[in-house]
Amino acid sequence: MSDLDDFKATYFDECSELLTELEEQFAAIEAGERDADRLNAVFRAIHSIKGGAGAFGFSALVGFAHAYETLLDYVRDGRVELSDDVVVLCIRANDIVADHVKAAQTGDALPAEYGLDEKARFDALARGESLAGEDAGGETLDEFDIEFTPVMVNLDALSEAADLASDTFEIAPMQPEAGHWEIRFTPYRALYARANDPLLLFRELAALGEMQVRAVMADLPPLSDFEPFAVYCSWEITLFSPTLTEAAIREVFEFVDGDCDISVVQLGAEGDAIPTPMPAPIVIVDAETARLRTQEQDLMALADDEVSELLDFSPAPVAEPVTRQDSFEEAPGPSFAELAAAIEPRPVPERVAPVSLNKPVTAVPAADSEENGARSVGVQSIRVDLDKVDRVVNMVGELVITQSMLTQQMDETLRARYTELVRGLEVLAQTTRGLQDSVMAIRAQPVKSVFSRMPRLVRELASKTGKKIKLETVGENTEIDKTVIEQLSDPLTHMIRNSADHGIETPEKRLARGKPETGTVRLSAEQAGGNILIVVEDDGAGINRERVLQLARDKGIVAPDVNPSDEQIDQLIFAPGFSTAEALSDISGRGVGMDVVLSNIKKIGGSVHVRSWTGKGTRMTLRLPLTLAVLDVMLVKVGESPYVVPLSSIVETIQCSRASFERVPSGERVLQVRGEYVQVIDLAQRFNMAGESQHEDRFVVLCEAEGSHKVALVVDDIIGQQQVVIKSLEENFERVEGIAGGTILGDGNVALIVDVQGLKATIVHKNAA
Amino acid sequence: MTILRVLTVDDSRTILAMLHHTLSNAGFEVLQAEDGQQGLDVLKSQDVDVVITDINMPVMDGIEFIRNVRASGQYQSLPILILTTETSQDKRDQGKAAGGTGWIVKPFDPEKLISVIHRVVH
Repeated sequence: MSDLDDFKATYFDECSELLTELEEQFAAIEAGERDADRLNAVFRAIHSIKGGAGAFGFSALVGFAHAYETLLDYVRDGRVELSDDVVVLCIRANDIVADHVKAAQTGDALPAEYGLDEKARFDALARGESLAGEDAGGETLDEFDIEFTPVMVNLDALSEAADLASDTFEIAPMQPEAGHWEIRFTPYRALYARANDPLLLFRELAALGEMQVRAVMADLPPLSDFEPFAVYCSWEITLFSPTLTEAAIREVFEFVDGDCDISVVQLGAEGDAIPTPMPAPIVIVDAETARLRTQEQDLMALADDEVSELLDFSPAPVAEPVTRQDSFEEAPGPSFAELAAAIEPRPVPERVAPVSLNKPVTAVPAADSEENGARSVGVQSIRVDLDKVDRVVNMVGELVITQSMLTQQMDETLRARYTELVRGLEVLAQTTRGLQDSVMAIRAQPVKSVFSRMPRLVRELASKTGKKIKLETVGENTEIDKTVIEQLSDPLTHMIRNSADHGIETPEKRLARGKPETGTVRLSAEQAGGNILIVVEDDGAGINRERVLQLARDKGIVAPDVNPSDEQIDQLIFAPGFSTAEALSDISGRGVGMDVVLSNIKKIGGSVHVRSWTGKGTRMTLRLPLTLAVLDVMLVKVGESPYVVPLSSIVETIQCSRASFERVPSGERVLQVRGEYVQVIDLAQRFNMAGESQHEDRFVVLCEAEGSHKVALVVDDIIGQQQVVIKSLEENFERVEGIAGGTILGDGNVALIVDVQGLKATIVHKNAA
Repeated sequence: MTILRVLTVDDSRTILAMLHHTLSNAGFEVLQAEDGQQGLDVLKSQDVDVVITDINMPVMDGIEFIRNVRASGQYQSLPILILTTETSQDKRDQGKAAGGTGWIVKPFDPEKLISVIHRVVH
């Protein structure tokens, strides 16, 4: 059934959000923030998961969630203390809930005993036993199973339910137990205060059988003594049906139980002599008449002049629902507004409602509902399919290209001739830019969603390695493009594993080195210009450079005669084919090395830089683009070919003569920029382009690579700045060292995007070769 | 036949979706809010005939929501049904004490849901 499938999809979506929320909340709870808000949020999450699960008949999930929820409820009201043990148990329970959700989604059954142990512990805790008494076992489970029986929602019943929407509906008669019943019903004020209405009760009773109602109005005071909130009327009702039971009658009064005096007495079984129920009963044909009759009776008890006075009150919120107070102004009759103000809307005047104005309470003019087009006021966000957003992003990308192409077409003569057109193009450029920013903002998400998974990872790692590790997160509200975020989880996991596994030392070692016993892994995110920097930092031992270099030499990544700098050695851990993981433990490795991190990050246009201090720690920095789709670049020429350099990495551009370049003894060329020697990379040479440029004057694009190291890229011409839409080279061709991707320029030419970080990183290998 | 307008208040999208489906198929007009505060906002601008509200919600829970609705004077005779999965009487009693008219036990049977609504609405 497709409706059901839709609901399920919604449900599983919601579950994944709730599970993320749980993880976040427990990360904070574990850190000691055990306030009521967090507990309530956790409770609500489990409660919602359970609620939906019940509707779909995922009974295993309902069962577990119910036990969990019960415990949470006890924790909330202080009956159970939220000790560290309980927190650990809850975190484990979150996993079990997640597994149940997954099982429900995929249709795979979990082993029957899955989670039973934890459930038993919940039950034990809820009974006031300590966690130590874990032997509680099966009986409590049975007890619970009886307690909560999920009911499958039958969507087929909807069409029948729809019929019930009409005013007539019937409640199936209960067991055949013949009889006449007498009901005495005296409502309290509270009954009206909760918007219950005797009339509706009568209507329901009338559906059970043949009914007679008599209003008892002995207590009705003269109008002058009438108190709006007071209750003066009670009713005596006889009801006949051969199949009527007391339970059926009581059910009608279910909602008003406690808000009225009620007695239900069976007068006699069928065939018995039926005593005359009440003097002069009013025979009720239907509920509506019942209503009129009760009102009539009320009215008759009043003096004539008082009645006429009452009639003037007609629009007072009696038949008209009081919720419509604001519509009085529009209603005919000049005194309505005053009356509405003068008479406080009260439920009690029901009984004095004039007959003539007895229109249905629920009348909602169709036009009214049309006018109020906004259905769900107060809902401030909408959910949009990511595909749709991506389509918009793509089209905006194309629009950016078209716009820049148009701008390029405008040469000086055209500019002079068509000033209006030029102005229009400028506006277009601005608007396009704004549009692009807005679209990107739609896709932006806080990195929190990824960061929140990490505390758990660190916990696991700590317990596996026997180390003491705490995780600090900073800047988790920093926003990045959703696509980038999705690609971030694996690399981050890997980096943190690396820190926990290789970086942080065992508690003994740390103490011996005079460090605090607990190691710290710090995860931070910040926006820096057009980039997001994500830093994973630890206060561990730092990279073992000797070992890294040895391994790199063994694996032929670094030639034996090359002596890389410390920094270059650090960077080696990202080199393809280099992984010390397998040799050291089973945690970081899992078959892939840090080079996977690098290639993943590169795929999304980012870069990784590592810096290490022996004995003090390691810092790994991920530099990520704010967005994937569009890049601000500088268009340059190398030989006759266009290249683009990401604007975010450019520090400045310099024009200088060939003579300014100097050679250092190692043969590398350097350029002195304000007293600082900067490594020079001639792009023509680097990309092995035929025929070196003969220009005497060269342009230098000074770029900043990771770790604030500068690189001077030598190009033949600088054309200008523009925006380009990035096209992956890997997807369309293959990965090229030193190139981050390709793009199509406004004039239709293809330009390659220079990978500044990549160029710098390959220098070590090049030298080695 | 007049179209009844129902305000559904629940922080679970699943429940809101199911209520919407059931109620709109039964010919109701359905408004939605995700917590008590949103519910109050809806009531400020729209007339409704009956409210169905969850109890456990962020921002403003169902109990407070009902209290607020009743306190506003304007809505004293607006029927409010409490959605509850609680098998215990607690929540139900709290909801009633706050001014709830009746209740619906989750997971709800569509037929039962509609009949309960008709029990409290004219």
